[in-house]
Amino acid sequence: MLYVAKRIAISLVLVWVVATVVFLALHMVPGDPAEVLLSTGGTSPDPYAVAELRERLGLDRPIMVQYGEFIARLARGDLGTSLVDDYPVAEEILLRLPRTLELILAGTLIAVSIALPAATYAAVHAGGAFDRAASAVAAILQALPVFVLGTLLILVLAQWLRWMPAGGYVPFAQDPGRHLLLLLLPAVAVAKGLAATVFRMARAAVLEQLSRDHVRTARAKGLTPRRVVRRHVVRNAMIPVTTVLGLQMGTLLGGTVLVEFVFNWPGLSTPLLRAVETRDYPMVVGIVLTVSGLFLLINLAMDLLYAVLDPRIARS
Amino acid sequence: MALVVAENVEKSFAPRGVFARGKPVRAVASVDAQVARGEALGVVGESGSGKSTLGRLLLGLLDVTGGRVRFDGADLPKPGSAAWKTLRARMGIVFQDPFGSLDPRRSVGAQVGDGLAIHRGGAEPARIAALFERVGLDPLRMGAFPHEFSGGQRQRLGIARALATDPDFLVADEPVSALDVSIQAQVVKLLADLRRDLGLAMLFISHDLPVVRHLCDRVAVMYLGRVMEEGPVREVFARPLHPYTRALLSATPMLDPAKRATRILLPGDPPSPSDPPSGCVFRTRCSFAQAACAETVPALRAFGGPGQRVACIRAEEIS
Amino acid sequence: MQVKRLILPGAMVAFIVLLALLAPVLPLPDPVRQDVANRLAAWLPGSPLGRDEFGRDILSRIIWGARASLAVAFASAAIACLVGTTLGLLAGWFRGLAEFFAVRTADVVLCFPPILLALLVVTLLGPGTATLILVLSILYLPGFVRVTYAEVLSARGQDYVEAVRALGAPTPRILSRTVLPNIAGPVLVQFSLAVAAAVVVESGLSFLGLGVVPPTPSWGLMIRGARATMEQAPTYLLYPCLALTVTILAMNMLCDALRDAVDRKGGTRAPKLRAVDRILPGLFPTREPAPLLEVQGLTVDIATPGGAIRPVEDVSFAVRAGETLAIVGESGSGKSITATAVMGLLPPVAQVTAGVARFEGRDLLDLPEEERRRLRGGAIAMVFQDPMSSLNPVHRVGDQVAEAIRAHRDVSAAAASQEAVELLKRVGIADPERRARAYPHELSGGMRQRVMIAMAIANRPRLLIADEPTTALDVTVQAGILDLLAQLRRETGMGVVLITHSLGVVAETADEVVVMYAAQVVERGTVAEVFARPLHPYTRALLAAVPEGDAEPEGIPGVVPRPDAWPPGCRFAPRCSFATPICERPQVLEQAGERLVRCIRWKDLA
Repeated sequence: MLYVAKRIAISLVLVWVVATVVFLALHMVPGDPAEVLLSTGGTSPDPYAVAELRERLGLDRPIMVQYGEFIARLARGDLGTSLVDDYPVAEEILLRLPRTLELILAGTLIAVSIALPAATYAAVHAGGAFDRAASAVAAILQALPVFVLGTLLILVLAQWLRWMPAGGYVPFAQDPGRHLLLLLLPAVAVAKGLAATVFRMARAAVLEQLSRDHVRTARAKGLTPRRVVRRHVVRNAMIPVTTVLGLQMGTLLGGTVLVEFVFNWPGLSTPLLRAVETRDYPMVVGIVLTVSGLFLLINLAMDLLYAVLDPRIARS
Repeated sequence: MALVVAENVEKSFAPRGVFARGKPVRAVASVDAQVARGEALGVVGESGSGKSTLGRLLLGLLDVTGGRVRFDGADLPKPGSAAWKTLRARMGIVFQDPFGSLDPRRSVGAQVGDGLAIHRGGAEPARIAALFERVGLDPLRMGAFPHEFSGGQRQRLGIARALATDPDFLVADEPVSALDVSIQAQVVKLLADLRRDLGLAMLFISHDLPVVRHLCDRVAVMYLGRVMEEGPVREVFARPLHPYTRALLSATPMLDPAKRATRILLPGDPPSPSDPPSGCVFRTRCSFAQAACAETVPALRAFGGPGQRVACIRAEEIS
Repeated sequence: MQVKRLILPGAMVAFIVLLALLAPVLPLPDPVRQDVANRLAAWLPGSPLGRDEFGRDILSRIIWGARASLAVAFASAAIACLVGTTLGLLAGWFRGLAEFFAVRTADVVLCFPPILLALLVVTLLGPGTATLILVLSILYLPGFVRVTYAEVLSARGQDYVEAVRALGAPTPRILSRTVLPNIAGPVLVQFSLAVAAAVVVESGLSFLGLGVVPPTPSWGLMIRGARATMEQAPTYLLYPCLALTVTILAMNMLCDALRDAVDRKGGTRAPKLRAVDRILPGLFPTREPAPLLEVQGLTVDIATPGGAIRPVEDVSFAVRAGETLAIVGESGSGKSITATAVMGLLPPVAQVTAGVARFEGRDLLDLPEEERRRLRGGAIAMVFQDPMSSLNPVHRVGDQVAEAIRAHRDVSAAAASQEAVELLKRVGIADPERRARAYPHELSGGMRQRVMIAMAIANRPRLLIADEPTTALDVTVQAGILDLLAQLRRETGMGVVLITHSLGVVAETADEVVVMYAAQVVERGTVAEVFARPLHPYTRALLAAVPEGDAEPEGIPGVVPRPDAWPPGCRFAPRCSFATPICERPQVLEQAGERLVRCIRWKDLA
């Protein structure tokens, strides 16, 4: 229990640290932040616009006051309004977040449900035909950037073969079948990197466990090979894999931005990319904070899962 | 006056980290020890007895948290003090693990010559060659790397490295425990020769009682950070006074059926060093324990043969 | 072998880097010169890969794109490496404030998903090469800090670092001579990983239009451009995709090979097994009373990259019920492999090439695997050396004992648990109900070995093979375990094979002894006779090396020969004080009264 409390406390501290870093980022930029945000290329921005933006962002007040207000608003869930259209950032995120979450969840499910069994089989039959083929596929997938895979999927499956739609989005309530069809390719693209990494890690972990003394003990007890693998190899191998899974979610979240862009999936990346281009700072901050918070939450879940898998953690 | 004197030394390790909990672990508790020039003191004990920690305290590689260590009449300097520069040359250490104690990426000649390079301003090959010969290795192999040597040869390299600066004091931390018995005897003989020829003061840490008996003049038996019994090896091995020493001696397997004693089996497990029993730390596993044993920590007092000391309030009754 | 794996990816990466470096001097068209007339041309003289949507030469843009990509990747990895390694080194060596600062900084960066942190910085600073380098060096900084920090911490714990410290070496000397060379490998691996990852992120950001600024050629930008025209000119999309993927693939392969080369733990995997002819066992007369286990002519080969070695050669012995047979020998004598072979637990690289191991009349070495599995943990049980690693850390010890019961008998889970508690009690564990629910790390070493023994005796085995069961334990704990084994043997009448290097343990517990040296049995007989009157010079020397009594222990000169270089004839001859030229002849195991001895001169020496 103490372990759980400790993990949660650490996660809360990290959320605060992330918020502080994001707040400070604007002030660490050399020069006047408002001027920096409005500058494009070499031309110096309109001084009236700068003054207006300074007031909008509250940059004219002492930094500690700004910081206090920033944290206080954050605690209330208020992320400010967009510089471009005055729309509340939090509402925009609430609208988009479920779609991004759906993509992440589908991608993770696909990745884990393919990669884990494949890795176990490959490791137990190390050096065999399946192992070599699967390892090669994993290496190639790992080298294929997510946006390249996405683009090629569209080129082959949508443009040439015309099997799949090239992208887009239909709400589930409107047309469940079409919704899932449109979800498939982006989810596969999101799953790619995770699947490759999980496969490689899990394969290495299973191989490592297979050579452990306790597996020899299990065999010496006369357990069937199936049971040895299930109870004494896979279970132990999952411990290092959960850690990697947590850290890999960062890459996955980043990859989702690219995938949404490639497949026109209207998740968080649409307002994010638009905001980066128009330098709509409150919107970028809101989305970065949301996704980082999500990342921390996933890692917290992984830490807790880790403690369940490994009795040495929670009890010592 | 002994070369190395430990007075009432104590070492506790505090738990590390922001969220660390729990009590500090007391590895060594109020230990007195002396090693004179030309003398070998054996320190025996099982895992968790604090014997290795004691060795590092005497070398100043660890800081004492209580008591003091004197070397050649003066207290060991504070860590980081410039006085260490000269003092380090006068002390040496030999490790247990023949594989981990040599840097796999540097030639053995360079490693043996480290002491010379640091303290004598340079390591001439002739001097290193002499060290190789001293420990029974071929000087032509100076340029080779550790993995080209066997376990016994690596221990010889470790000894040569420790001897490079002509130290007065050598701590040998289980130097033969990882070696096969046929190799063990060679290394023990080398250490015995060196001690005799160079007049080294030696602290020999081991869990192997017969080896200590052969190599050392005196022996200190440690249990859970404290010395249970101390004295000349012949006295202690012939007439052990402390119940723990007796159990330890009786548990050592003997080749000769005539020498076998009835085994004294210790019940239970050793207590945790972070939560040692009150009074005598051995009482929880001692068949002679009484209520009084839980009250005060028994002092190490003179009893038995000449120079023999024991920390047991019931020593008279038991013997 | 591992270096060979570096060649192909190394050559590929070198080729790509060389192309990028040479881009300005290669006879390529200007990568930014537009020629709208030849827009999306598939092929033109001087443009073998065609032209893009602005009529720019694609081949030229791909090669110049490599230059942009790699420049950004190497620059950011180098900055991250320099800063990160320095921070990690200071943090690991000086601990305290430096540690807090460096490790926490790394942790904070790791709280952000990489691309999002990059987008935040791009918003602030605007897109461009300088922004990219800054972002990427921040992203890869934690990797270097962590690797260096962890390596320095582990190096600090190494005896060889403490040895230099004990010699009084000043800190800069320790860091530069001892610590840095030992962490250089992992840092190099980290550097290659960072370069490969930076190429990916750079192309991703450029693809989003937020990285390299047009018209500078970049693979990400080219893919972005080609996406718009992929219906008319699909190949234009494929070229940059291919260039990018091949580059990353080569870099990843190089990283893997580097990592394997640096990390020597990840040694070579088992080479492919060859079908090995099994020599059919001859018929041997059985002695009376019939032994429980009779091993005849057991030979094991291990395939290594340098050819097959033979760690066990023509080993024979017999154990009767209720008896303890000890196999004694030094490291590398083949005693543990002998036991593992009898149990059928050899690793895949090792193969039994000859011999029989008859257990109650059946040859264990010739049984189908399924039948052998039924015997293992049933009629034949085994106890291993290190009770910590031999128990599964994630299961409760009671469950692990119960599992042994249920593997062989059809009992309910509850009954098996109950029986497990009984077994724990039987092997002398106090408070067995509570201990059954403990995990291995919560028990002491002696108690874990008792759990192993409980597991072994769960199905009333008729033969127990104990492989160095007390080597990892303290001497007072060892005494308890040996007593327990003796008591169980008396009570159950099982036969025990005890593998050990301790002659004292043999003397105190065994009835018969097999002395092994360099894969062969050199002497065999009852313990009382062999120890009182050793016939083989090796047995003699071994006994003389044991420090006991007042005699000075005598070492044996030299070392055990390596298995790929056994001496011809007697394998002990090079270290034997009685060796004569006759010893270079092959030796056979001769009958010497009740005993067997492998020494051509045993009669002269007796």
